[in-house]
Amino acid sequence: MNTLTAFTRWLENGGRTIGQIAITRSGEGWELRHADDAGELQTFTRWQDARTLATLDDAGAFRPIKTTNDLRHGWRIVLSTVAEVVRALDYFYPAMLGLWTADARGELTPTDLRDTLARQTGMYRITQKLTDEQAQALIGRQCSRCLKTMLWRIAPAQPITSLPPEKHQRAAFPLLCREACNLLVGLARGVVKEATSPESSTAAASPPA
Amino acid sequence: MISKPDSALIIVGHGSTLNPDSSAPTFDHAESIIQRGIFGEVHCAFWKEEPSLRQVLDCVESEDVYVVPNFISEGYFTRTVIPRELGLDGPVTRIGRHTVKYCEPVGSHGKMTELLLARAAAIAPGVPPEKTTLFIVGHGTNLNDNSALAAKREVERIAAMGLYGEVQSAYMEEPPLIADWATLASQPNVVVVPFFIADGLHSYEDIPVLLGIASESPGAASAGGVSVFAGNPYSLRGRTLFYASSIGTEHGFAEVILDQVAAFDSVK
Repeated sequence: MNTLTAFTRWLENGGRTIGQIAITRSGEGWELRHADDAGELQTFTRWQDARTLATLDDAGAFRPIKTTNDLRHGWRIVLSTVAEVVRALDYFYPAMLGLWTADARGELTPTDLRDTLARQTGMYRITQKLTDEQAQALIGRQCSRCLKTMLWRIAPAQPITSLPPEKHQRAAFPLLCREACNLLVGLARGVVKEATSPESSTAAASPPA
Repeated sequence: MISKPDSALIIVGHGSTLNPDSSAPTFDHAESIIQRGIFGEVHCAFWKEEPSLRQVLDCVESEDVYVVPNFISEGYFTRTVIPRELGLDGPVTRIGRHTVKYCEPVGSHGKMTELLLARAAAIAPGVPPEKTTLFIVGHGTNLNDNSALAAKREVERIAAMGLYGEVQSAYMEEPPLIADWATLASQPNVVVVPFFIADGLHSYEDIPVLLGIASESPGAASAGGVSVFAGNPYSLRGRTLFYASSIGTEHGFAEVILDQVAAFDSVK
């Protein structure tokens, strides 16, 4: 089953919430808004508008990972077809519908952190020195802001223990994390550099560009 | 025009965890191609943003997949990072149910010269090119010689046309440095075109400071401050300087992406 068919069926079965987004019927079409919003909202009518709405948080800060729990408020998008809803959701939660479908087909293979770090080259090769303790602390700090369900471990015998159990359980519409994102790898680089160069106290403050 | 209703197109960009404008042209070109209905599916994938290179193939339903790097230079990213992250082992790789065809990056396309010339002319209307030094600015790095090759190649092509009084390549991180533009340029007018994919961190925030048209980073282009392009032309160090938007924001890049798919098919 492809993503459009699977998602249409999910809507027909009453599915209405994905991450921080509520989906409702709007006449013959569909409306998307922040699940916490009600009342007067700025209205958009193009699936492309979702890209702009997903880019910055309420304070105007860039959201490099779109599944963090800081989706901006104050908008609604009214769309005609489920295909347009899928395109809008591909901007709000990139790759998430595709991974959801792949997971349902049994085709999603998570990659553990050690494998992710082992293949890094160039400026990220240093992340291979990240200790298990540093990894647990970093993941506990960084990934708790993300709405994705984590499917990967640090290593086959090393589960992630620094996040609550529900972070590893699929939600009604699961946003799935198959592998550590590049933001986390960038932050791991900062952690290792700081640990190996005590005088470099700013290394972990921000990821490299 | 090509028509591939049973194929998927993946446009790969660098992206950024810091600057929202880095991925914008890649998404723009993807939207343009989606609206033309050429491919059954069009996806973007990024090194630094999502969809990531590691996620994107799980999202592709078509068996036949073309991958076009929206990168200027043939180098570390196109030869090492993208193949590694996608799991490619050559021009055609069978991965699960996908047959993935790896195309040349956009920056290698012959149309780059024409696009650079069009951008240079548009930013300095009425300015005689024979009294102008044109700089094509690349990143440049000591780590990868290929980073500068693309800019050098375009400079040679444009210089051979004899339109401009002078054409030079310059870089952020290796000589000749764009920061030295005033001593490098011999002409009274100076046009600077960044040979970059996006008006991101380098071309919008770093190069204006190196040129001296901004005293500090102006912040991201989309942040809503005064545009660095609004100050054109700049009267600086005895010259009249025009600073252009990155070449990758040209709408013509969507056509170049499609051309790279057609070029892949033509040599198979």
